[in-house]
Amino acid sequence: MALLEVNQLTKQFGKHSKALSDVNFSVQEGEFVTIIGPSGAGKSTLLRCINRMIDATGGEIRFQDKSVLNLKKKELKQVRTKIGMIFQHYNLVNRLSVIENTLHGKLGTKSTMAGVLGLYSQEEKQQAVRILNVLGLKEMIYKRADQLSGGQKQRVGIARALIQNPRMLLCDEPIASLDPNSAKVIMDHLKKISTTMGITVIVNLHQVDVAIKYSDRIIGINSGQVVYNGPAENMTPEDIQRIYGSEADELIFDIGGIHAG
Amino acid sequence: MEVKGQLNNVSAPAEHLLEERIKIKPANKAAIVIGLTLTVLSLLTVYAFYSFDYKEFDMTEALIATFANLKVIFLEPHLEHFSFGHALYQVLVTLGLAFLTTLFGAVVAVFFGLLAAENLSSKRVSMIIKGMVAFIRAVPTVLWVLIFAVAAGLGSTAAVIGMTFHSIGYLIKAYSESFEELDRGVIEALQASGANWWQIVFQAVIPSSITYMISWTFLRFEINFAVAVAMGAAAGAGGIGYDMFMASSFYLDMREIGAITYFILAVAIILELFAIRIKNKLKAA
Repeated sequence: MALLEVNQLTKQFGKHSKALSDVNFSVQEGEFVTIIGPSGAGKSTLLRCINRMIDATGGEIRFQDKSVLNLKKKELKQVRTKIGMIFQHYNLVNRLSVIENTLHGKLGTKSTMAGVLGLYSQEEKQQAVRILNVLGLKEMIYKRADQLSGGQKQRVGIARALIQNPRMLLCDEPIASLDPNSAKVIMDHLKKISTTMGITVIVNLHQVDVAIKYSDRIIGINSGQVVYNGPAENMTPEDIQRIYGSEADELIFDIGGIHAG
Repeated sequence: MEVKGQLNNVSAPAEHLLEERIKIKPANKAAIVIGLTLTVLSLLTVYAFYSFDYKEFDMTEALIATFANLKVIFLEPHLEHFSFGHALYQVLVTLGLAFLTTLFGAVVAVFFGLLAAENLSSKRVSMIIKGMVAFIRAVPTVLWVLIFAVAAGLGSTAAVIGMTFHSIGYLIKAYSESFEELDRGVIEALQASGANWWQIVFQAVIPSSITYMISWTFLRFEINFAVAVAMGAAAGAGGIGYDMFMASSFYLDMREIGAITYFILAVAIILELFAIRIKNKLKAA
C-alpha cells in the first residue's frame, strides 16, 4: 500500500494563475523520490500542499490512508508530526544552540506548557544527541546555529526533522545554497535515511544529475503538470527536454555520461 | 551573435550621456517640493525675527543676564530646602515611577505586540491594533496623564496610569516590528513539525528578538525617567521633579535648581552607561 497518494491535485493562486493542475502520483514506503522542474513550475507548492503549509484548491491527498485535505486543526498537527520538513535556507533559530534547534522537532508532540518552557525529557535529549552524533555534529551540540557553516546548518535541519520520528521527509531544495562537497554530504545522509531507516524521502531538486544519481524515482513537473513519472534510469534526453522545455536543450549535459558515472 | 547585437543596443542610449554633464540626482517632483519647502521656511524665519515686537528689550543686556543666571545655576549649586539624602531618595522615587511604568508597559506590550505582528496574527487584528497604537502614541504622555487625572485625581496614580498607557503604545510598536523581523521560514519550519502558536512564540520568536526587545525597553525606561521628572512637576506625582518645581516657582532658588539638575544629569549618565553595558553583553551572548 502506498504511504502517500496524490490524486488530481490542483492549486490556484488568485483567479487565473494555476500553480498545479491535475497532479497524480503515489509514493511507496521507504522510496526516494525526486521532483524536478524549472523554477516556478510548482515544485515547492506541491511539497507544501502535502503537509498543508499551503491549502490545495482541489483534489485529494492521502497520507497513511488518511485524507489530509479536510483534517481539523488538531488532527492536522498530528499528521505534521509524522512528516519532517527540510528547507533550502535551513530555517533554524539562529540565536539558539544546535541541540535546542534539534529538540524543536519534538514540540509538536508536547503539551503547550512544556513546549513554551522548553522542558524536554531525558529520553528526548538522548535521542537528540544520538541523531547529532550520526550526522557528525557531536562537537557542535552547544554551538549557536549562526556559528555553523551552511552544510552543518542543513544537517541540524535534518536532525530536527529526524527527531520527530517521521514516516516521511519533505525536502525543499535542500542543497540549493550549498557547495558541491556539503551538497554531497547532505544527499548521502538523505539517501541513507531512506535506505536504512525506511523513511520515505521526497526531494525538490534543481540538479538533474544529482536527481538521477540518488533517486529511485523521478517526477518531472512543468507549469504545474506532471510530465514525467518513472525510474531515474529510464530517463531520456527527450524526457528532460519535456520537463525543462526546448530551451534547455543545449544546457543539459550528456545524460549518457551521467549514467555511466 | 544575437546576444551581442542586444548588448550594443543597450549601451547606445547611455553613450550620449558621456558628453554632457552627468547628474547623480536627476531633478524630480519630490526633490523640487523639498527644496521649495526649505526655502519658504527659511524666508519665514528671517521675516519672523525681523517683525518681532522687541519693545524696550535690549538683546545684549538680555543675553548677559541669561548667562549670569546660567552661571548661578550651574556654578554655584547648593541645597537649601532639603538634604542630600532627601534628594537621593526623591531621585529614587522618580526612578521608581519610571521603572514601574516601563515594567507594566512591557508586560502588556509583549502580548499585544505578538498580536500586532503581521507574521504571527491575522492581517486584520494586526491592522486594528496598530491603528489604535498609532492613536495612543500621537497623544503626548503628559496629556494622557492629565486625561487620567480626571478620574484618578492629579497625583501619582494618574501619572502611573498615563505613563503606562503611552509606554504600552510605544513598546507595542517597537516589539511588533522586532517580531516581524523574524524570517518567515523559521515559523514555517516549526509549524511544519506540528508546533502550536505559543510554542513557536516562546521557542523561536522571542529568543530571536530578545536583544531588540531589551534595548527598546531600556530606551523607553530612559524616556520614562525624563517624563517622570516632568510629571513630578506637572502632575504632582512626587519625586525629584516636584522638588524642582518647588525650587523654581515657589522658592525661586536658582542654586537649588542647579543642584537638582546635576542630580538628574548624573542619573541619566549612569543609565546611559548601564544601557551601553547591557547592549555589549547582549551582542557578545
